[in-house]
Amino acid sequence: MKQITIQIRRESDIILASQRGRKLADTLGFSNNDQVLVVLAISEIAHNILRYATKGEVTILSLVEADKTGLEIMAWDSGPGIHNIGQALQDGYSTGDGLGIGLPGVKRLMDEFEISSAVGKGTTIVIRKWLHSSFQN
Amino acid sequence: METTAVQKLENLLLVSVPQDMTDEDVILLRRQVLQKIRQHGSRWVLLDFALVDICDSFFGRFIYSMAEMVKLMGAKVIISGLQDAVVETLIDLGLTLPHIPAVLDLDDALALARSTDATSFGAMASIRENVVWDTPEAKLLANRSEV
Ligand SMILES: Nc1ncnc2c1ncn2[C@@H]1O[C@H](COP(=O)(O)OP(=O)(O)OP(=O)(O)O)[C@@H](O)[C@H]1O
Ligand SMILES: [Mg+2]
Repeated sequence: MKQITIQIRRESDIILASQRGRKLADTLGFSNNDQVLVVLAISEIAHNILRYATKGEVTILSLVEADKTGLEIMAWDSGPGIHNIGQALQDGYSTGDGLGIGLPGVKRLMDEFEISSAVGKGTTIVIRKWLHSSFQN
Repeated sequence: METTAVQKLENLLLVSVPQDMTDEDVILLRRQVLQKIRQHGSRWVLLDFALVDICDSFFGRFIYSMAEMVKLMGAKVIISGLQDAVVETLIDLGLTLPHIPAVLDLDDALALARSTDATSFGAMASIRENVVWDTPEAKLLANRSEV
């Protein structure tokens, strides 16, 4: 199992995390399209960390199980938290000046998406993409 | 980010969008484009994405804001070079670009810039010429104003 943690404090960290994620996805045998999706997911959650929590970290790891291979992205911050998660996951909802497509896009395009958040404590997001997966939600 | 990202070609400004832009890079690139449009009086801005292999909401916002900005300068944006995977992800994200013409390569962009210029501005000029010199109505008008 390979695991990389990148501290997110500035924009160049997002680029670094995205590049690492793409490389791992490539190594695991993900198609170019799925690599783009992995980069999308890392970029969206890392941008959110920077924008809403100012700092946090992103961990990327490979998941090698008996019958499947995948990539997991975990984002963690101890920022303000999300007041209404259901709302934050709706297309077009943004408390910033964004388009509000980040989180719903990632949820839709990746295979698994878990989010937990506590106001005043922070936010944790876990996302998975499986190789040759045919899941859709 | 080098300054060679923006080049003038006829009435078109060619912008080679770099890979991995930060917010700051985007602001710099925008400024550079604004400056060059003004300097050269460019009517078209071709955003070439051949170097870009990512797609996220940040990238989507970049295209939109660039198109809006260029429009306010009286010019138009054309895009080219989007990679297949990037296009697919843009669409899946719900980021369509309905009012932005896309072309395959630079030659097509130049052809589009020339032809659209010809029908909108060039044709206007020739109509005006016709009115003044060739048609009976124009001659009548011309004569009348002489009187
Ligand atoms: N790490 C976080 N900490 C606190 N709030 C967050 C965090 N991530 C997301 N949010 C909240 O969830 C909302 C939706 O996030 P999402 O990424 O979908 O949209 P956005 O960031 O506002 O815009 P976009 O991503 O399209 O630029 C945000 O506006 C913000 O209120
Ligand atoms: Mg976001």
